[in-house]
Amino acid sequence: MQCDGIRHRLEAYVDNELSGTERDQVRDHLADCPECGPEAAAIERLREGIRKSAPIYRAPEALRSRLRFALRREAAATARAARSAPGWLAYAASILLAVAFGSGGTLLITGERQEDAVANELIDSHLRSLLASHLTDVASSDQHTVKPWFAGRSDVSPPVVDLAGEGFPLVGGRLDLIAGKPVPALVYRRREHVINVFVLPASGGDLAAILTRRGYSLRHWNEGDLGFWAVSDAAGAELGEFERVFRTATSG
Amino acid sequence: MAWITERRRRSRFESVVLPHLDAAYALARWLTRNDADAADVVQEAALRAFRYFDTYREGDAKSWMLRIVRRTCYSWLERNRPGDVLPLDEEEVLDEEVSSAPGAVSNTESLLQNRSDLRRLDVLIEALPAPLREVIVLRELQELGYREIGEIIGVPIGTVMSRLHRARSALRRAWEGKDIDDAV
Repeated sequence: MQCDGIRHRLEAYVDNELSGTERDQVRDHLADCPECGPEAAAIERLREGIRKSAPIYRAPEALRSRLRFALRREAAATARAARSAPGWLAYAASILLAVAFGSGGTLLITGERQEDAVANELIDSHLRSLLASHLTDVASSDQHTVKPWFAGRSDVSPPVVDLAGEGFPLVGGRLDLIAGKPVPALVYRRREHVINVFVLPASGGDLAAILTRRGYSLRHWNEGDLGFWAVSDAAGAELGEFERVFRTATSG
Repeated sequence: MAWITERRRRSRFESVVLPHLDAAYALARWLTRNDADAADVVQEAALRAFRYFDTYREGDAKSWMLRIVRRTCYSWLERNRPGDVLPLDEEEVLDEEVSSAPGAVSNTESLLQNRSDLRRLDVLIEALPAPLREVIVLRELQELGYREIGEIIGVPIGTVMSRLHRARSALRRAWEGKDIDDAV
């Protein structure tokens, strides 16, 4: 085959874009031809040179967390827009909101279903925090760093204490969106277990204090006008211990 | 319920798109040539993608995302650095035919010749006009095939090949010419 027929396919060959017989033809030609062979080699050399000298750009961690936060805000805005639409959807959403943020006894549903709704929601948030390697927005074991971080980001200002002395070191804080509202989550560790403490306005109803759902333990208590929900895969007894030391430290 | 639906949508979006965030950032970084601008563009593109996520059909998520990132880059450049984007008529010359477009190549070459740091290929790539730079980046660094590149930049495969050829010719002339005894 003549060089003319090869030249315009040379780069496609080097780029591995030819198939079957066409590829074989070019390969055979390159082996013999004193002009086309070096030409192909030069293209490959350029490629090597590019790969050696070009920096490898990776998305910075700051961009990842910024993006996650922006997405949550965006999703919440969409959900809010949907809620303001009339119809059963808005009605249903308002009921669940009242459950999650029920204050002063304005609960519209009682019993098992409402607990499940809240428990599932919080377990999902807990899981997401582990899966997406987005455990904390502010990573610090210093309560004086974590607490001010929440200021202006959320309606509630959670009490923050480091419990390292009691075996539950503070890892940091995070803002989750639950029912379209930013909810502070405090993150603690118990050996290899992560404990998320979600802080919401106090729940008005008689929600169970201890729940186990899908293999996760939840404990719920009110303190003043705040409602605390601790979620973890640690054993129930350990979470009970956590609740005890947390309440002792924050009520003091 | 609206917020549960939204949350599912967001989780699905994150699992589809976030794995390609490095590729998205790299493309934006090469096109904007600046860290902070690249981050802004990627965030804008991701939010845009999230808004149009319903139009995403199961398929090549990477191409889908890179297409949106690229479009966002170009509109960002037009807004902020119009000089960085080739005017359309020159684009048409580029598209016209395969082997030789003297105007475009010699422009590119003179662009490259004016650099003092010609030994470095990364610098040479940065100096390429955006339509040539992006095909080189997508082919040689992202290691994508012609079909995917065509999808991302929205041109036929023949145009991908001609731009790639042009980009390589320009790079080789600048690089080999100055670097003859130091070939990698």
